[in-house]
Amino acid sequence: MSTAFAEGKVTAIVGPSGAGKTSLLRCINRLEEPHEGRVLLDGTDTRTLDPTELRRRVGMIFQTPVLFEGGVRANLTYGLDHVSEGALEAGLASAGLATTFLERESPALSVGQAQRVCIARALVRDPEALLLDEPTSALDFKAAARIEDLLLSLAEGGLTVILVTHNLDQAQRVADRAVLLVEGRVVAEGSPDEVADAWPEGAA
Amino acid sequence: MTDAGTAGVAISLVLVAVAVVISWRNGLRLESDLAVATARAIVQLSVVALVITFVFENEIFAVVVVALMLAAATWTSAGRLKGIPRARSLALFAIASGAIVALTVLFGAGVFDLEARFVIPIAGMLIGNCMTGVSVAGSRVRDEITDKTLEIEARLALGVRAKDALRPYIRRAATTALIPVIDTTKTVGLITLPGAFTGMLIAGASPADAARVQLVVLFMLLGAVAIAGMATTMLVTRMFVGPGERIVTPVN
Repeated sequence: MSTAFAEGKVTAIVGPSGAGKTSLLRCINRLEEPHEGRVLLDGTDTRTLDPTELRRRVGMIFQTPVLFEGGVRANLTYGLDHVSEGALEAGLASAGLATTFLERESPALSVGQAQRVCIARALVRDPEALLLDEPTSALDFKAAARIEDLLLSLAEGGLTVILVTHNLDQAQRVADRAVLLVEGRVVAEGSPDEVADAWPEGAA
Repeated sequence: MTDAGTAGVAISLVLVAVAVVISWRNGLRLESDLAVATARAIVQLSVVALVITFVFENEIFAVVVVALMLAAATWTSAGRLKGIPRARSLALFAIASGAIVALTVLFGAGVFDLEARFVIPIAGMLIGNCMTGVSVAGSRVRDEITDKTLEIEARLALGVRAKDALRPYIRRAATTALIPVIDTTKTVGLITLPGAFTGMLIAGASPADAARVQLVVLFMLLGAVAIAGMATTMLVTRMFVGPGERIVTPVN
């Protein structure tokens, strides 16, 4: 397969379950290594990059929000040597959270808030791209809608957003472009509406 | 003085007989368990006494006995470490590292004389305790990594090195492995009188001498188990760190 993800746009990777959407996403930040082929970031082969540098440049959000021990502040600064107060506040703001969240404890957050803290945690690292693996599947309708709005505004701010979703409607709401994967192959790419027409008959 | 001759053993068996009678009268069905346990204890300790008598007369066989202990401990620990690649070599190395460092220090510095009479019981205690520490530390690290794969990957995805991403889980495993020996050391004399101390008192040594030997035993176990446990966590961690700052999840 071959595909490209445009800078500052939202690209949705869609397809039935088991199509390899998550694997494709994980190959981008090298949580998995492709058996063959290569992944280029701004023209650089990602294998030549230190994985830790690559993963700071390309953030990832999982299906269920994962917060570590400690409160929101500890989560935002996790693994960073020094980070300014301003950067933390900016990260929260871009994730649609008020500065007061900095002092919140993780168990006190709703799932939707926790997912936004995860996004803020990735944004504090000032990434060029954000990978999201079914980020709204654990959320209720309203919280999901807020994440979708957030993705649109992040892309508007220049971030490259790559969204894995099994939900074609979601792709149509937020994505500029969609890539349809079926059994590990790209069977269609283009606008979400074009891709919707290529969706395989009877596939979940 | 102590009189633990054959008569003494026979008298102590009366107590077991009492237990058997009580069990039988009350229909508890513990009779056969009690009988098997008693018989096993008699056979096992008699054999060990014979073997050790032989070794005391042929000192060079102490090496063989220690090697057998190490082999048995390795086999037992490796059985607890299923799913970890190369579990057997890992267990052997970790148990041996703790035991050998302690043995080298104690015998090298002349704390104990290099005689089978000392080498065998001390090596036995060290290897046994290190075995438990390795089993607990290793299986705990394995379970933590298996259970927390998502959490660990979330850490990796933030650009943290694999060894740093694993640190919280390893710390927990190391603590768990060391709790028994640390607590034993902390509470010694308060809750139970430990084996070496009791044994020496029964055999007629002065309480001060018994206490000194017990301290040596405690410190050597603390040190050896700490070394073995930390060697385990380090080695297990290595087995689970793949190239490219990834974790390789254990297979079962």
